[in-house]
Formats: sequence, C-alpha cells, structure tokens
Amino acid sequence: MLKSLQEEFLQKNTQVIVVDQEAKVLDTTNTLMRVKKDTLLTDYHPFFYSITSLFDQEKASHYFYCVQIEVLSKQCFFDIRVHIDPKKAEAVLFIIDLTDHYKSVHQIKQVRNESIIDFNMAQELNNQLEVQRGFKNKFLANVSHEIRTPLNSILGFINVLQGTALNREQLDLVNIIKSSSQNLTAIVDDLLDISKIEAGRLEIKNKRFDFREYLDRLSATYALQAEEKRLEFTVEIGEKIPKFLVIDHLRINQILVNLLDNAIKYSHKGRVTLKVFTQSRNLRKIPLTIEVIDQGIGIDQEHISTIFDSFTQIEKQGLFGGSGLGLSIVKQLTELMGGQITVESTKDKGSTFRFTLDVGVSHDQKRKKIEKRKTAIEPVAKTDRKRILLGEDVEVNQLLLLKLFADRKEYSLDIAKNGEQVLKFLDNYHYDLILMDLTMPIMDGFDTAARIRSHSNKRINKLPIIALTARRSDEDREACKEVGMNAYLTKPLDEDLLFGTIQKQINKYKRKKDTD
Amino acid sequence: MSVSKKIVLLGHFGVGKSSLLRRFVENTFSENYTVTIGVHIMKKEVLIGNQPVTLIIWDVEGTDDFTKYRPSYLLGASAFIYVFDASRKVTYSDLSYNLDHLSEKYPHVPVHIIGNKVDLVDVEALQQALNEQNIQADYLSSAKTGENVEQLFTDVAAQMLKNA
Repeated sequence: MLKSLQEEFLQKNTQVIVVDQEAKVLDTTNTLMRVKKDTLLTDYHPFFYSITSLFDQEKASHYFYCVQIEVLSKQCFFDIRVHIDPKKAEAVLFIIDLTDHYKSVHQIKQVRNESIIDFNMAQELNNQLEVQRGFKNKFLANVSHEIRTPLNSILGFINVLQGTALNREQLDLVNIIKSSSQNLTAIVDDLLDISKIEAGRLEIKNKRFDFREYLDRLSATYALQAEEKRLEFTVEIGEKIPKFLVIDHLRINQILVNLLDNAIKYSHKGRVTLKVFTQSRNLRKIPLTIEVIDQGIGIDQEHISTIFDSFTQIEKQGLFGGSGLGLSIVKQLTELMGGQITVESTKDKGSTFRFTLDVGVSHDQKRKKIEKRKTAIEPVAKTDRKRILLGEDVEVNQLLLLKLFADRKEYSLDIAKNGEQVLKFLDNYHYDLILMDLTMPIMDGFDTAARIRSHSNKRINKLPIIALTARRSDEDREACKEVGMNAYLTKPLDEDLLFGTIQKQINKYKRKKDTD
Repeated sequence: MSVSKKIVLLGHFGVGKSSLLRRFVENTFSENYTVTIGVHIMKKEVLIGNQPVTLIIWDVEGTDDFTKYRPSYLLGASAFIYVFDASRKVTYSDLSYNLDHLSEKYPHVPVHIIGNKVDLVDVEALQQALNEQNIQADYLSSAKTGENVEQLFTDVAAQMLKNA
C-alpha cells in the first residue's frame, strides 16, 4: 500500500532524465516536461546549459533548489539533483516538482520583503529629512548670529543717539528706527529659538515660580497694550490655580506673550480674554489650561491646519508684521513641555487658542524665596576710577562701548583686539574688570578667560570677567561658566544692565578681596 | 561558434536584479515588485567583436548575507554582478563584507558592482555616499530607463571573454 502511494507520488512529481556528456537525452520519464530522446537538453531551458560544464568535474552530485522553469506556459519550481557518472560518461537528472510548496513560500516572502523595503525607504526618507533639518538649523543659527552682531551696534548707537540733544522730530524718527530694530531683534531671536528647538538643543528648566504674581504683571502689561488699540482686556484666573508652580517660566512666558501679542495684533475691536484654570486641586501636579480668546479677524478653515507651521501668516499683505514663526514656536514649546495646543476660529469672529499641560505644584505655597540681597550700586568717587579692559575685535563694537563709557566718568576703558592682547595688557596694567567678547581672532574669549584663571598672579587670576556676546545659546553660557567667567551679557547690550553688572561684579570682587 | 558563460546576479532583495535581467533580455520593465525565490535563469546572445557569446544569467533570490547563498547557484560562474539599490543605503552598507566573502570563496570569479535605480536619486549625493564608504561602482544603472543596462552586460561579457 505504502509502496504504491510512494510510487504514485514519485510518478506524478518527479522526472528522471539521462544525458550523455554532450547533454544529448538518452532516456527520460517525461513526467513533468516533455523532452525528446536524442535531442539536446540544453535546448529546453538555459538552466541545462549551465550544468553541462559540471559533467567533467570530479564531484559526482549537485543539488539545485527551487529552479524556476516554465512548462507549457506555467511557472514551475523544481528541485533538481544532478548525478554524474564519469565512468559511463553520463549524467542523471532527478527533477522534483515542488511548485505548490514554493508558491506558498513565495507569498510569505513577498509580504515580508515588501514590508522591509517600505521600512528601509521610510528610514532613508527620515535620514534625508534629518540632514536637511540639520542644515536648515545650522543655517538659521549662523545667519541669526551674523545679523545679531550689526544689529547690536545699531541698537547701541540708537541708545547713544537718544541721549543727545535731539529736537522732537528727530526724536520721533529715532524712536521709529529703534522700534523697527527691536522688531528685527525679536525675529532673529525667534529664528534662533526655532533652530534650537528643532535641533533638540532647547531644554525645559522647571523651577518654582510665583505664577499668580506673574499673571498679574502680564495682565497689567497687556491691559495697557489693549487700551492703546481701544480693545477690552479681561483676565479670568480660576480659584484653584496655585500661587507657586514648578514650571519653566521663561518658556511659559514666551508662549503667552506670543499668543497675547497675536490676539491684540489681529483684533480691531471687541475683547481679548486670558483665561487660566484647572479642574484639579491635586497638591503635586495639576492639568493647567490657558486660553487666549479674541474677537479679531479669525482664521478661515483653509488655513487653520497650517497655522502652527513655520513662516505661516494669516494675512500675507504685511499689514501685521512679524516673521510667522511665533505660533510655530508656541506649538513646539508646548509639546516640548509635554502639553498640547489647539485652536478654534471663525473668520471675522475671532479665535480661541487653548493650551494644556501638566505642571508641578510647589509644596510650599506661602514662603516667598528669600531673594538674594541685591548689591547696591555704590557711587564711585572720581579718585576711585575703575579701569576696565575690553577684549573686542570688531571696530564698530569698540566704538559703541567707547561711547557708552565716555559718559561714565567713574570708569576708564582700554581696548584689546584679541585674547593675546588682553593677556599682554593684564601683565602690564592694573584692571578692575574685564569685558570679554567670545569670538575673537588669534585667541577667543573662552581660551583667554581660561588662561586668566590659571595665571600665576593672584591680582590677575581673580579679576571679574563679563562675557559679551551675540551668541545666546545655553551651551555658550555653560562654557563661559566652565572657564570661570563671572557674568554673561548678550548683545544688543542694555546699557543699564551692562553698567549694573559691571558695578555688581566690581563690588563683589572688592568684598571678596577685603575678606581674604 | 558561440561561447556560453554563466553570470550570477547577487544582492539584497528588491534592488532590481530581476528588472535588470528583464530589461536586458526582453527590454521590458514593470514597476511592480515580485520577489524572486530560488533562481530564475535567462539567456541572451551578445556579439563581442565577431565573437557571439551566450550569456546564461542566473538571477538568484536576494539576501543581505551572501554567506547564505547556496553554493550550487554560484557554481561554475564566470562573473558575479553585485547589484545594490542606489536609493536604499542599507543595500550597500554591507558591500565590503559581502565582497570579502565572495573573494574568499570564489577568488577567480570577477565581481562587477552595479548601483541600480539611479533614476530615483541625486547622482552627486549618491557618489558622495559611496565615496564615504569607499565603494567604487562599475556602473550606475536604471532598469526603468534602461540607462547603462545593455552596456554593463556587454562589458561583463567582453571581460569574461578576455579572461577566458
């Protein structure tokens, strides 16, 4: 019984062909494919061509898996065993039909390979996008930095100009230039933020923060701005909102400022409302919801899906100014903080921007952190004139600092063009403080500061150093700390902040020297 | 009298080995991807000078690990054509590893390296990526457009004839 079944299977699914060394068919069972005796096997399929070269090899047997051969227009899959008998100068081919088996394998492999290829393609696309994004971010960061440097000079000189004897008309014009320059600075700052967020270099730093006090200050500012446009401004703060939250106050401020600026910018009448509420009284974490509602120009449905994309503005006619980066920053910051932002809007009726995020609640809701004792700016007698050394290579920046210092009789200013010169000056003269640009030729600010700190002379190595830079990155700030700089000021320089910081650092240095 | 030579097409799956073969033998192309299992063999006669050469081309199932190729498929080959997909880095990132295996097991069989699907990529960027990996492709081809297909098989045939 078994034998007859086996024979039946073999008869149906196998074919035996005997050929001589020239591939002439000597005998065949013709079960699977019709092959005529005394013809050349190589004429039936190119596979047989290739194997004729094996006939004179020493190895007696070869097995070929899954050979595709078309038989009567049907694609078949055969396993073929070739047995060579050199003594008889013959070869025997055993052809086994495994078409059904290989077809099922084929289906599985087709699905598997397709999904792997799709995955590879997606990866490839991702890599390309990463490269493009990296290039874009680097470009944005570089361009922003390059723009910031001359912008610093413009704003600095505008401040100087404002302090001169100008008539009313001139003062108005200077104010316009100043306002435009400040707008430009804001755009450059936005570009830098976008590049940092997209490069994953922007960190969220949550700290204890008096949120209610902040909201009061924010409301007061925007109430004034709204009033200028004859808009009503209302604030609704839910009673469950704690006073102290643990949150990145810089970023939450950036989000709210962007949303409120937009609400006022895009409203000609009606009311702008800021709503802050939570449903939870949890003592550790609460879901915070903030809504900025306006009755302004609104957004049509066509644009609503792209409103959070970079460089998108509802009004393209330039009526409202700005770079179109604000909402993109808002969205990315919200997501970076683990929150979500949505918008509902009707054209000509207004918009509601709503963002929600989980924020920590400070365990101490009463105590106001003891603020560090502010160092009073002590008046300096003329005899006690402080000598400042500036390391700065850009002439226009040198000139600006000279102008600023010209009106400050309590200081004198020396200028070194690079880090090497700074070190030389320090060896030859006595200084009370160093202002250090970070990007200088020959020796940059970081290197110079590090050398000052490791100087053998105590008079030199303890001198306060203030970094002055157009670079605003956290990395640079950290790097300045690492090399021992005492303060970090970004350009465009704020005159009051500059002299406040100088005096603070000098006083601190003096106190320390006295106690040593 | 025609000389017959066996060529084996090797490479990852989905790189276009079967498409290159069909373009060369039948001058056809299909956008649809059909997996090759086992081996599919086609032949074509080309003329090198006055010498007709019958190319028996084995299009074997793609794999990323050449050590898994069944030795019987590669037996008796006069040339290997290593095909990679120019639009998928993963298909050429392990090229040197696979080449090492071939040169160890089949030291006398020349290997020709072909970057297929160039119609899908920026050739300059591809060249840069290949240079970074020290890959010198013999041909950049497209089975879809036919670019370099006839040329590469004819050159391989000429080379085999020269080596014979």
